[in-house]
Amino acid sequence: MTTDAISPFISEPWTDPSNKPFIRIRGISRHYGAVKAVDNVDLDIYKGELFCLLGGSGSGKTTLLRMLCGFENPTAGSIEIDGQDMAHVPPFKRPVNMMFQSYALFPHMSVAKNVGYGLARDGMPKAQIDNRVEELLAMVQMEGFGVRRPNQLSGGQRQRVALARALAKKPKLLLLDEPLGALDKKLREETQFELMKLQEDLGVTFVVVTHDQEEAMTLASRIAVMADGKLAQVSTPRDVYEYPNSRFVADFIGGVNLFEGRVTADEENHMKLQSSEAGLEIHVGHGVSCSPGQRMWYALRPEKIRIARDRPDQPFNVVEGMVEEVAYMGSLSVYRINLDSGKQIKVTQPNLERAQDNPIRWDQRVFVSWDSSAGVVLPS
Amino acid sequence: MKSRLGFVPVMAALGFVFLYVPIISLIVYSFNESKLVTVWSRFSTKWYVELLNDEQILNAAWISFKIGAISATAALVFGTIAALVLQRFGRFRGKTLLTGMVSAPLVMPEVITGLSLLLLFVAMESVFGWPAGRGLTTIIIAHTTFCMAFVAVVVQARLADMDSDQEEAAMDLGATPARVFWDITLPTIAPALISGWLLAFTLSLDDLVIASFVSGPGATTLPMLIFSKVRLGVSPDVNALATLMILIVAVGVMLAAWIMHSSKSKTAGSNSGEI
Repeated sequence: MTTDAISPFISEPWTDPSNKPFIRIRGISRHYGAVKAVDNVDLDIYKGELFCLLGGSGSGKTTLLRMLCGFENPTAGSIEIDGQDMAHVPPFKRPVNMMFQSYALFPHMSVAKNVGYGLARDGMPKAQIDNRVEELLAMVQMEGFGVRRPNQLSGGQRQRVALARALAKKPKLLLLDEPLGALDKKLREETQFELMKLQEDLGVTFVVVTHDQEEAMTLASRIAVMADGKLAQVSTPRDVYEYPNSRFVADFIGGVNLFEGRVTADEENHMKLQSSEAGLEIHVGHGVSCSPGQRMWYALRPEKIRIARDRPDQPFNVVEGMVEEVAYMGSLSVYRINLDSGKQIKVTQPNLERAQDNPIRWDQRVFVSWDSSAGVVLPS
Repeated sequence: MKSRLGFVPVMAALGFVFLYVPIISLIVYSFNESKLVTVWSRFSTKWYVELLNDEQILNAAWISFKIGAISATAALVFGTIAALVLQRFGRFRGKTLLTGMVSAPLVMPEVITGLSLLLLFVAMESVFGWPAGRGLTTIIIAHTTFCMAFVAVVVQARLADMDSDQEEAAMDLGATPARVFWDITLPTIAPALISGWLLAFTLSLDDLVIASFVSGPGATTLPMLIFSKVRLGVSPDVNALATLMILIVAVGVMLAAWIMHSSKSKTAGSNSGEI
């Protein structure tokens, strides 16, 4: 089964329009009375992807997941998995398995019986089940735990058992609801990489629901950012971070400084944005489809800004400000700077050297600058 | 701690005295040799021997046990179905009404329950010809009705505690809804089912008022017999009989409580046996 696996990190199936999506979601909605939990979502997910649904609570990500495995019926729209319409297919007949946020292990069954439950339902002979359970427990590094009860396991071990159980039937699609949510930070980081490796080895399509943007960035081949039941943006982690399509996405993923401005020059290879909020005319080194005078926003990531005590040698994108606060975080330092326009911005700088002779401190005046390609112009 | 005789221990002791002194005195006097209930002469078990030779009492006991077992079982089935419908089937038309109706017998005065059932049985007999007269059948029906409410409450509480993720997980792994019920739901709620049955059984065994209303000739339950005997004056063999009933009821209730408690602390019920 590994031969036909498509590693999402080598080829990007979504860039080729001739590729057939593995999951095809069209116009799907789930309304509870007046509440639109999921509202008219179109989404294509390709074979072998590790796809993340990212959003805050109430964004509709879990409802969308539950519609994929059949626990929720859509109010409107259709879901196709591997070319098969899922409209009237009950959960127990879908080629889909799910790992629950609570793990949902059966407390009255041993670990081995938990893992083998799905296989037994398929009528697999007992000897074969035993072999497969052994294999699965080895895969998640839980050999020898088969005889234990779930309440005799730690949180991390339960997570592994739940994963083994969900993978037992070799599903075409594995859904994971906050798979690492219950683990502590250290364990979560370790498990993230194990999960990715497992997914790559097995070639199973993963759809992961998470509210943790770092987790989504680490795991995903692509991320769908959800808000209010709609998809705000669907892109690779890099694109979601570097090219957000709205202020919401820019703000949701990582830190960002947003400047409001009006278009003053709109050429083919550059544009200018007059921003009273930033106190300067921002130069953008590429063309943007817009019209003069249009209101737009400039999103600038904290790490793409430079600060210095001396005026840098560049003709544009330089403003002055006063350091309000410095937070030393080890690998980097975070500066809060009050620009002369009154706007406070956040800047991060890597601490590349151990000893700094004359570090920038609070209450010092600094020049803030950035390249013409550092930020993104957002129409909304 | 100022003194060892604080407010709480004293009140607790008074409470226990208030609750249990009558029962203890009844038990003590059941071993009284004297024919006069209130005068202690010496220890004897002769009233127990007399009891076991009393055809009428043994007959009534047998009827009570039969009614208890049948109506507890029937109440278990219907009560569990009611609990499942209320707890697992989402919202439906009339759910609020059903919730109220299921628990109504818990607070309904027994006299009213008894009277209304009697009227129902009489009306049914004249319309359908069934149940023919009052007797065992009508008591069983009546007891099933009010015991069902208790079973439903116990099972519903257990279902509410239960993680419905487990049922969904089983379904996700390919179990049909019926299979999910046998493999996951039933083992999890088994302790509640056992304690529900025991509770229903003891309630049925205890009931005098409702049984008196819906009973007929030839179906005298144990509480009815005791009550009629006491009306002719308390005789010591009634003490002995009452002591035995207290024993049975106490064991039943304690067993039910213990099963519920131990299953909660383990968070796991009995094993489903096979998968």
